[in-house]
Amino acid sequence: MRITQAIIAVVAMAGLATAARADSTQGITASTIMIGNMGPFSGPQSTFTPLNYGPEAYFRYINEQGGVNGHKFVTVFADDSCNEAKGIAAAKKLIYEDKVFMIMANPCSGVAMAIKPMLVQEGVPWIGASANPKISRPASPGIFHSTYTGIESGRAMASFAMGKPGTTKIALAMHSDDWAHGYCDNATDYIKGHNGEIVATTALEHGATDGTAQALQIKASGAQAVMACLYQPELIVLLRELQKYQVDVIVLGALGADFDQVIQAFPNHDYLKQRFFQPYQFKAKIGTGPLKKFHDIFVKYLTKDELPKVGEPTNFYYFGVPAAIVTVEAFRRAGPNPTRESWEKAMESLKDFDTGVLADSETFGPDKHVGVEKMYAVGLSAQGQETVYKAWGDALPDTE
Amino acid sequence: MSRVTRRLFWLIPLVLVPVPLLLNPYQQYVVNTALLYVPVGIGFNLVVGNLGLLAFSNVAYFGLGAYTSGVLMAHLGLPWWLTVIPAGMVGGVAGSIASIPALRGVRLFYLAIMTLAFGELMRWTYIRWEVLTGGSMGMAVPTASLFGWSLDTDRRRFYAFLAIVVLIVATTDRLLRSRFGRAFLAIKDNEIAAAAMGIPTDRYIVLAFAWGGAVVGLGGAMFAISVGHLSPISFDLTELIRQFAIIMVGGLGSLTGGIIGAVIITAAPQVFTSFPGFDELVFGLLIVLVILFLPRGLASLLARAHPAFVDRYYRD
Amino acid sequence: MMLSLLPQLLVSGISSGMLYALIALSMTVVYRATTVVNFGHGDMVAAGAYAVFVFGLGFGFPFLVAMALAIAVLFLAGFATQRFLMQPIVAGPHLSLAMMALAVGYTIRGALRLEWGTETLNPSRPYPQDIYMFGNVVITTDDVVICGFVLLLLAALFLLLQMTPLGKVIQATFQSQRGAALVGINVPMFHALMWGGGAALGAIGGVMLSMITPLTPDLGQWTLVQGFAAMTLGGFGSLGGAVAGGILLGITEKLLGFYANTVFIEITGYLVPILVLLLRPQGLFGRRAIVRV
Repeated sequence: MRITQAIIAVVAMAGLATAARADSTQGITASTIMIGNMGPFSGPQSTFTPLNYGPEAYFRYINEQGGVNGHKFVTVFADDSCNEAKGIAAAKKLIYEDKVFMIMANPCSGVAMAIKPMLVQEGVPWIGASANPKISRPASPGIFHSTYTGIESGRAMASFAMGKPGTTKIALAMHSDDWAHGYCDNATDYIKGHNGEIVATTALEHGATDGTAQALQIKASGAQAVMACLYQPELIVLLRELQKYQVDVIVLGALGADFDQVIQAFPNHDYLKQRFFQPYQFKAKIGTGPLKKFHDIFVKYLTKDELPKVGEPTNFYYFGVPAAIVTVEAFRRAGPNPTRESWEKAMESLKDFDTGVLADSETFGPDKHVGVEKMYAVGLSAQGQETVYKAWGDALPDTE
Repeated sequence: MSRVTRRLFWLIPLVLVPVPLLLNPYQQYVVNTALLYVPVGIGFNLVVGNLGLLAFSNVAYFGLGAYTSGVLMAHLGLPWWLTVIPAGMVGGVAGSIASIPALRGVRLFYLAIMTLAFGELMRWTYIRWEVLTGGSMGMAVPTASLFGWSLDTDRRRFYAFLAIVVLIVATTDRLLRSRFGRAFLAIKDNEIAAAAMGIPTDRYIVLAFAWGGAVVGLGGAMFAISVGHLSPISFDLTELIRQFAIIMVGGLGSLTGGIIGAVIITAAPQVFTSFPGFDELVFGLLIVLVILFLPRGLASLLARAHPAFVDRYYRD
Repeated sequence: MMLSLLPQLLVSGISSGMLYALIALSMTVVYRATTVVNFGHGDMVAAGAYAVFVFGLGFGFPFLVAMALAIAVLFLAGFATQRFLMQPIVAGPHLSLAMMALAVGYTIRGALRLEWGTETLNPSRPYPQDIYMFGNVVITTDDVVICGFVLLLLAALFLLLQMTPLGKVIQATFQSQRGAALVGINVPMFHALMWGGGAALGAIGGVMLSMITPLTPDLGQWTLVQGFAAMTLGGFGSLGGAVAGGILLGITEKLLGFYANTVFIEITGYLVPILVLLLRPQGLFGRRAIVRV
């Protein structure tokens, strides 16, 4: 009885106005552009936050140059812990409370997929580093990938491996999550489409400290190459086991591990020479040549807490930066009074634009919202030198 | 306390009714999340607080309720309101299954580990049963509707949730103030004596587990459409700790406690989004401090302040 | 069916099993002493692994010194946790005890993540990595060191418990706290010391882990699950059972992973307690933890 009264009151008050679409200058004032930088600042995936700090460093650098067309960038960070529910709350805060212009970085694919409907509905642009290709394919308004997704990376892993003459039998070692599927499913597609064969599929879970069963299965299957869609700790564990049982395979890691750190985990890298490779996103070795400029930007503009405790800025910082570079370029082209629409048009006008970081140049179009395609690979040469390869056996000259 | 004071509690949902007009979608989302965690807190509290058994399988019911609702909507095209009852039922069945070790006499830490394992096995199932659940990529939950009225904004969902939660609170309150509630209390205090007095402990244990599971499952169904996307990571051990925090901070064994805990634990992390990385540390410390200094939760503070808030186990 | 790999799987299984045994043992010590399962134990093991890293690579101490320091620090941590956080609430509901332990572990994990969350620390290698072949079976220095060390430790513990007066005191208090109190043993101090001891043993497990695997703050969660499974398999509360359970768990994981499917490795730790309950609730060597009315 009391319950019924309450319910009637509730129903009577309901059916009120829905949320309005965010307007086309949300986040843009006369002198600022507000960027929402979302990522796993807490939780197990917090090793990916350099993907958030890379672009942030670039924005700080641009601000010191005076900004773009009189606008400086203001960043609001939000933590998603790689958890979709938390990510949706964070995105709602950025969009409805902080009223940002766009969302950037967002390394976690699960979160990106979860917030995508909201982004599209509200018209908020997104340029992120997460690897799930479905985010930007088919093209949705405002959603762009300025770096490689699982499709390009998976293909690069598989094509590099199969570039070694006689390699047709491939094994998979992967996590069960969407990130790993993003790489390994696409690698599998390439392999099957090029007369290759998947001879073993092994699972390795987050936090695993032992890969004996997996390594032995791989050995027993007669695989010649392994697509290792694993995060860094598990990749190291697998490599250790493969080394222990002297399994004669080449191993292609995915982009969840830092090449240098993996090599450092093995004081004796004999086994890894000419065996362990990763797809490589950049046009030169990080911190050298054209990438030295970015190394200096990171070191100058990031705080002590945002940089690694020990050592130089790692691969992920450079991987995060292109999103900011293309954003700034699009604002440059959009002129002194940018709106969301003019920015998006500017983005789609980018053709063969060289970010100065990535191996490939950026080309967008009304239906093409993934800017890059071609990747290199990185591995240890027979002499133990970190070398960048265009394809199997074809090393970049200044890196050998 | 008189019946008049009791009726005053019904003002609370009525007062909440106009609140959404003041909130932006983000704030509304947070309020909705607090609201859907109320049945979670209540259900968890029922077994762990009122009955006194260490059943750590709560997240399993939450996840099963959420996935039941999501799967029925996505794969069978059912509208949300038709999936709510099944979600509750699945939660209830899961609760009954989880009660099996308890019926066999397993108690304390052994029971805790067993029920924890059950919860984690469920999470493994969501990951592996890809055809149904989308695996770890998760699945999108279609927009909800209530008898044809689309629940596409957070504000509309608020009203739907409010109605359901009010129902849950009212019925659980009835349950606790009936002979069942008194039996739970007796079992918690001294199980052997309770059985000696003629209370059919086995039956009541199953009832508590089933009701708790069903209520949490309903929370899961609301979670599914509030977030709009289900993935196994939402139902891991961190979620369990969050639900623990709800009942410990709110008050073990107290209906009011379940409600207060849900609100506080949902609202608190939003304060911390500017200080990322601290939330694990703060959560842990919070629970430690609450156990040391406020073992019966905030509800106990309220109870000391005014007799209206003291839990009663009899009808008046 | 590749039975030729069976010996290798068994050997690897025993090697990881030894580690699980150590962890299960450290948890059982705590459980026997205070009837509380330390749900935060896994995170203490992880803290031990990080402590070795801090003392070794951070402060530059030689490995054995770093290890000794890590063990000492964790002993103090376990002692302090029991003395200041568990003891005050020992009269309360068991849920509070379980939650307190869990919360302490969670706090430790949060602290580890705050400090080292964004990096993965590579394992330290205090000894050269060699490989020995026995027929088809590969054994690494890691395997030898871990198995050897754990066996030595077990022998030492056995001697301690059976042969020394202190060991007799410990056994007596395990069996009857009231009786021990009656003969003048300081039972609360005993509890705190046993928590310290359990944490120290766990720290040794952490040190072993830090030698073979990269460190992440979430190491504790996995460790806890394996420890539970081993304890349940061997029989809750039985010291020998913990060891046997650990070794069996290690072997089962390898066999299941290789012959069935690697997807099962992740949940072996969860399946085992449930299966044990259904088939033989007291585990291999345990006593029944059951309330019958």
